[in-house]
Amino acid sequence: MVFKPVPPLPVTAEVNLGDAYITTTVDAVVNWGRRNSLWPFPFGTACCAIEFMGMVSSHFDVSRFGAELVRFSPRQADLLIIAGTVTYKQAPVLRRIYEQMADPKWVISAGACATSGGFYDCYCTVPGIDEIIPVDIYIAGCPPRPEAFLEAIVQLQAKIDGESVKEAKKVGV
Amino acid sequence: MSTPSRAEPVAVAATPVDLSVRLTADALLEIVAARFGLVRDPADRWDLTVRCSADQLRDVVQFLRDDVRLRMDMLLDIAGVDYLSYPDHREERFAVVYLFKSLAFNHRLALKVMVDETDAQVPSIHDLFKIADWHERETWDQFGIVFSGHPNLKRLLNHHEFVGHPLRKDYPVQKRQKLSVNDPMLDQLVLRLRQNGYTVLEST
Repeated sequence: MVFKPVPPLPVTAEVNLGDAYITTTVDAVVNWGRRNSLWPFPFGTACCAIEFMGMVSSHFDVSRFGAELVRFSPRQADLLIIAGTVTYKQAPVLRRIYEQMADPKWVISAGACATSGGFYDCYCTVPGIDEIIPVDIYIAGCPPRPEAFLEAIVQLQAKIDGESVKEAKKVGV
Repeated sequence: MSTPSRAEPVAVAATPVDLSVRLTADALLEIVAARFGLVRDPADRWDLTVRCSADQLRDVVQFLRDDVRLRMDMLLDIAGVDYLSYPDHREERFAVVYLFKSLAFNHRLALKVMVDETDAQVPSIHDLFKIADWHERETWDQFGIVFSGHPNLKRLLNHHEFVGHPLRKDYPVQKRQKLSVNDPMLDQLVLRLRQNGYTVLEST
């Protein structure tokens, strides 16, 4: 491939552009990149994490949606997936992991336990992780099937599409 | 480096032991009844459950562990019981149950110590069985029963800002207690390093 030097544009440049250029918005380009390269951090504490593994593996293959690059450091991830029961003893750990993720970041609450405490209606279980960190997408199920995880990814992508770089993503809890 | 301190080893019987002998519940009861005057628990639904007072406990446990006929060399569990809403219960509110097993003879025995609500105290047996250390911490955490003589009686399951003892029947089970900062548990790490012969420098 040979690159030729581009001649300086005349004043009437737009007239001569032809089909070599497209116009778009910053939001459209940025959101296209963000939604198609989500890097998930799995906070797996129970059986929902097994279904997460099913989603990542070849049979369901989340790489079709660009979210297959699982990171085990919050510094490198922008999607936090809480898959399992969270106790009050764990809660400060989860909170710190969320705070360590760089903006922009999104959170999926997977399964009954993370969403509402599930059937652990007791003294030690957090009744829904949205008491600790903000949540973008909730998944129902005990545990949810891998298809439900994929549906959550697709819904999150739609949500990201509606965001704008001009607005701050989150203001904290 | 100092020599790591270990719990005293189980005394090995000098006389040869017939490993095919598995004592029946009645024979076990006869031995402990003759030595300590222990009686069978009225609510006995296991191999053998005997009642024991808190004062006798340490002597009985040591006897169970070291006697050549019993050789109860394994402490399976320590469990707390709250009889608050138990039907027709007229005795002390709490009980602590110790489950013993003999690996040599394959027989079992449970000791039950009734514990009063106002003075919920039982002597610790952490020096007789190392595993009792964490079991006693758990029982204290969940039931509020104090094991006197325990070197580090802090909560095991619930977090360090928790107030109350959740397995007591009068604890409001849906009460939530948030934790602000998690416990780094450095004291436990330092303790374990020292036990293994390391010198831990104090930070200033």
